[in-house]
Amino acid sequence: MKRAATILAVFIVLCMIASPLGAQTKLKVWFAVSGDSGEAFKALLEKYDAMNDDIVIEASYSGNYADTATKVSASLVSNTAPDVALMAAGPLYTGARNDFFIESKIAEPDFNKNDIYPGVWDYAKYNGRICAIPYGISTPVLYYNKAVLDKAGISMANPPKTWSEFIQIAKTAQAKGNISGSSDFWGFDVTDVAWLFKTMLSQNDNTVIAVKGSAVSPAFNDQKAVEVASFWKRLVDEKVMPVGQHANAEKKFLSGNLAFLVATSARIARWSKDQTIQIGAIPMPYFQKPSVALGGNVLIILSKDQKIREASWKLVKFLANTENQTTFALKTGYLPIRKSGLSLPDAKKAVTNNQMYAIAFDQLDISWSYWHFEQMGTMDQILAQTIDVIERNVMTPKAALDKAASDLQAEING
Amino acid sequence: MVKKLRSQYPVTIAFLLVSSALMIFPFAWMLLSAFKTPADVYNYPPKWIPSSFKLTNFEEVFRKIPFLRFYANSIFIAVIQTVLQIGISAMGAFALAKLDFPGRGKIRIFMQSSLFVPEVVTMIPLFLLAAWVGMVDTYTGLIIPGLNCAFTTLLLISFFQTIPNELIDAAKVDGCNYYRIFMTIVLPNSRTAIGTASLFAFLTHWRSYMWPLIITNNVKMRTLPIGLKYLVTETQSEYQILMAASLMAIIPVLVVYMLMEKEFIQSITLTGLKS
Repeated sequence: MKRAATILAVFIVLCMIASPLGAQTKLKVWFAVSGDSGEAFKALLEKYDAMNDDIVIEASYSGNYADTATKVSASLVSNTAPDVALMAAGPLYTGARNDFFIESKIAEPDFNKNDIYPGVWDYAKYNGRICAIPYGISTPVLYYNKAVLDKAGISMANPPKTWSEFIQIAKTAQAKGNISGSSDFWGFDVTDVAWLFKTMLSQNDNTVIAVKGSAVSPAFNDQKAVEVASFWKRLVDEKVMPVGQHANAEKKFLSGNLAFLVATSARIARWSKDQTIQIGAIPMPYFQKPSVALGGNVLIILSKDQKIREASWKLVKFLANTENQTTFALKTGYLPIRKSGLSLPDAKKAVTNNQMYAIAFDQLDISWSYWHFEQMGTMDQILAQTIDVIERNVMTPKAALDKAASDLQAEING
Repeated sequence: MVKKLRSQYPVTIAFLLVSSALMIFPFAWMLLSAFKTPADVYNYPPKWIPSSFKLTNFEEVFRKIPFLRFYANSIFIAVIQTVLQIGISAMGAFALAKLDFPGRGKIRIFMQSSLFVPEVVTMIPLFLLAAWVGMVDTYTGLIIPGLNCAFTTLLLISFFQTIPNELIDAAKVDGCNYYRIFMTIVLPNSRTAIGTASLFAFLTHWRSYMWPLIITNNVKMRTLPIGLKYLVTETQSEYQILMAASLMAIIPVLVVYMLMEKEFIQSITLTGLKS
């Protein structure tokens, strides 16, 4: 009897000891990246889960950027939001909720915030304050079809520095490099019109938006912007770029019917692995100064529970450390956000062996972003429509940009 | 017979052939693309016939996503939703078409007007309700709020109205109650309309994407349309793998259509005559 009581007592004590050890924190993580990017992100989450017995991660793909925005909106109102989300940068889920938890955390020495590119930080700012961790970051890259340029006798040993130099080379490539003998062969095109236009604006000393206090207003209709829009028109007028066929640009490029293409750096991993054509890349030409606009997704913490927020922050720190973020970048084609990432052996190897990585990584030094504001998605739509109007000669560049600025201002005013 | 038709209606035959080709083209393209390599997909001029007919793309689908789980979920949910929706719609349509009660016309107008409200507008309030009653990540949450009875009810009303009232009156005289009239007179005489409504309902539920995405977080609860999205990245798509998955995804729809084809065509003909 006494023995049984002792065993029972020992058992109870063991249970009491084991209980706190076994208490696990559940972290709900949603991510808006799929395919290889989704797999790479999930692998990192699983690694963290395996390393931390006290953490259980429930990872869930939440649809593309737009779907995730809807899903997160619904979950925020119904208090079923995830604790951490990897989603498109946007103010609604971060700064606009007055949530600057991350800002107080990035000062921790082991996070080493100065290791992250300054331009990349701007991509996570709302009203000048940091409210997210930039993660799957990309820049536009100017790719070229090597076979086309070889046929045209063009060497990229000394690539064009400015857009004026570039247009001449694109014209030559178009005239002499038609490898498939197609009647639909072009010198240059771009997949994301608004993105390249914003890059060009920044290169010509235009800030895209003007910020006064917390008020944002469009700034893309000054003389500098008109110069950029006029150059864009020139690309069409001189028949180097097709009118309004940008949605088809990538397919055209991969089928050998385009000499140069501006597309996201997130293509690099895929195109390096699975090449249908030999692709090269050159630094983005510029007007006044080299610059490329950033795009991509960010990590945000949505939980309101302090304990969960701390656990979420530890996860975010893990995901954004040099090794993990660089691994994610190399597997997906997004860019390393940390300068130290470029000194990792895998990154060095990628840069040495793959010119596209070298170009994209170099561009991080000249990367640029404006702060987030509520109508930033609308602005991109307006800019894309404006470029279409300019390309089709419906309005002059000046008139089209004035109208675009006025439309955006009306949206901002509500 | 065929020769006679050809000589009598050459323009009609030509028009029908061209129309059929236009309808078949996307399916043929999907079928062939499912076997293509990435190089074949991006080939210019477009390459119709794949370099080889290997099953690599199909294997990739199973490697990349839990395709069978998504498939099973989709079939289970779409079938249950169709059965529930048609059951509710048929009863509602019978009441609205054959019973006389106050507010009948207003209910019908309300149902019609609900068809003009875009799904996205009601999505978040519906989610709030579903979350409030604990339906997130459950089959109940996937099935019940996803029912969309207005369209099928209105479709069935228009058909039930063609059933002569004398038939119903005769059944009443024979001592049938409304339940028996519904089960023994109305339903057996409406097989074509029920078949058509079932086909529409099944198709709607089979391809439903947004609601299942919103209401589920657990991968085990997800359906095929979300599964297909796993194969499309935010910046690029592997079309050949997507086509292989899509090809497998349309099989149940084809099966349902083949089962219901006769009823579907009859119903279209009848409603066409009626109007």
